[in-house]
Amino acid sequence: MFAFILRRLAVAVPTLLLLIVLSFLLMHLAPGGPFTQERALPPQVLANLNAKYGLDDPLWRQIWNYVYGIVVHFDFGPSFVYPDRTVNQLIADGFPVTLTYGTLAFLAAVLVGVTLGTLAAIRQNGWLDYLAVGISIGAQVLPNFVMAPLLVLVLTLWLGWLPGGGWSFSDPSFWIMPVIALSTSYMASIARITRSSMLEVLGSNHIRTARAKGMPERRVILRHALRPAMLPVVSYLGPVFVSMITGSVVIDIYFSTGGIGKAFVDSALNRDYAVMMGVTILVGALTILFNLVVDILYAWIDPKIRY
Amino acid sequence: MALLEIRDLSVRFHTHDAEVHAVSDVGLTVQPGETLGIVGESGSGKSQLAFAVMGLLARNGQASGSVRLDGQEILNAPPKVINRVRAEKIAMIFQDPMTSLNPYMRVSDQMAEVLVLHKGLSKRAAVAESVRMLDAVRIPDAKGRVRLYPHEFSGGMRQRVMIAMALLCRPKLLIADEPTTALDVTVQAQIMTLLSDLQRDFGMAMMLITHDLGVVAGSCSRVAVMYGGRIRELGPVGPLFADPAHPYTQGLLSAIPRIDTDEGELAVIPGQPPDMSRPPQGCAFGPRCAYRRGDCDHRPPLASFAPDRWRACFAPLAELRAGTETHP
Repeated sequence: MFAFILRRLAVAVPTLLLLIVLSFLLMHLAPGGPFTQERALPPQVLANLNAKYGLDDPLWRQIWNYVYGIVVHFDFGPSFVYPDRTVNQLIADGFPVTLTYGTLAFLAAVLVGVTLGTLAAIRQNGWLDYLAVGISIGAQVLPNFVMAPLLVLVLTLWLGWLPGGGWSFSDPSFWIMPVIALSTSYMASIARITRSSMLEVLGSNHIRTARAKGMPERRVILRHALRPAMLPVVSYLGPVFVSMITGSVVIDIYFSTGGIGKAFVDSALNRDYAVMMGVTILVGALTILFNLVVDILYAWIDPKIRY
Repeated sequence: MALLEIRDLSVRFHTHDAEVHAVSDVGLTVQPGETLGIVGESGSGKSQLAFAVMGLLARNGQASGSVRLDGQEILNAPPKVINRVRAEKIAMIFQDPMTSLNPYMRVSDQMAEVLVLHKGLSKRAAVAESVRMLDAVRIPDAKGRVRLYPHEFSGGMRQRVMIAMALLCRPKLLIADEPTTALDVTVQAQIMTLLSDLQRDFGMAMMLITHDLGVVAGSCSRVAVMYGGRIRELGPVGPLFADPAHPYTQGLLSAIPRIDTDEGELAVIPGQPPDMSRPPQGCAFGPRCAYRRGDCDHRPPLASFAPDRWRACFAPLAELRAGTETHP
């Protein structure tokens, strides 16, 4: 297992390099640049700016310098649009925010989703099943850009219970609406995956054996069925966790949370090359990491899997 | 008093477009310590009969009638009651040892939980007792292998583990649902020998469900022949095999290939088993029967025709016996 993890981490390095090179090239292929504005800059100013940020070097040298900066100084460069801020700072400011509400939303989605899906499977075709399926379809068809304004309308404007936007690490009342808005549709998917996978497991022979042994239904579900039923859920959760903790532009804009979800989209619109690259690498590295976590969890759940 | 007494047991399955009559009006008894064989072809209802007794029917299945164990009604009993009965009084082993054990748990854990739950043993004592039981089913190095997962055992060894797990609480009745069907022939014989030895040592009764008449002849005292969800013939193994009193039993026996004759063709029972979503009004075997007569449009009742022998057929015994002699 240890060797497997080392091997996977070793493969992660070339994967990340490939990711950097490809996104770098794609980024430069897109028309426009960080200094393209409605009113064109004087050629001399543009040339100076390009020289300052190294954009007049050949592409291979730009990539080399960029990777060199990351590897040697862990420096992801300056923002091209906000000259007084570095990418490291932008991520250090925004990522903790999305990490906080993303993790909470993830936990909420998993807890509620798995519970709902399991209950629905146990009471297949009963009222609880229909209720759970109804809730999850409802949550699925309400995208977060509809959920967010609805939440603000009810919880802030009508009831006045929660602040309508902004962020504070010390005051959880700011966290509640982003967490709800982000988690609902994921929760619905998790509930549906859990339900169908649980139904399949409950029909399998070893569950019949557990019942024949006189195990109470509760133990049959929790001890014998839940674990294998989690396999498809776990493989879904890896990528989902990454996309949740790297935030959502809708949440960031709607609740003015200041997370990196908004920073990422802004950087793409502004052609803020360094920020775009920084966030891409962050998402890429997290994706690799959590796919590894999923594989480790798989081996933990299913003893037949050995690396 | 009979250990297990089944009366008027019927099992219906509700499917999308029909009601399947899997088992109809079955009555059987199992005496303490005896082995009752239940034979029949696939779909004859023999496994569903066992599942109904264990309360393990699929969700769309509904059992009616009466099943008494030691005088206690267990059919459709509340979960608490049936869970006490399971493992402690009746245990069951299944056809497919590959999938019947929990692949996600160590053998020690899945065996020990039975004793922890039913006997209140500590985990450590339960594992020790599990090892003793694995020794009893002749698994070599049981102490070392109890901590393995099921996929680390071969098919025959897994069935031994299943048997050991079923016997942990010393049940009075073991239901074995085609315990050797999924195994190699040589392993089959070992498992059957093991089962009879254990049955003798533990003094338990066994209900052996199989389509293998050789297995029945070797290990059962009485046998019930099922067809179309009903018992067609019931009696002690020796007389029933020597002198079958139902055309279906006769057909089954003559379909056994014989190594000492040179006949090229295997004997078969012509026709198909009935569609149990539309059970026939008369005798379900009628359409395939060589002795069919006018009154076969009515359902023949299971009736005693000799001491301890029962059959559900209108054909005169003399006619059947003559038939047995002409085509052996």
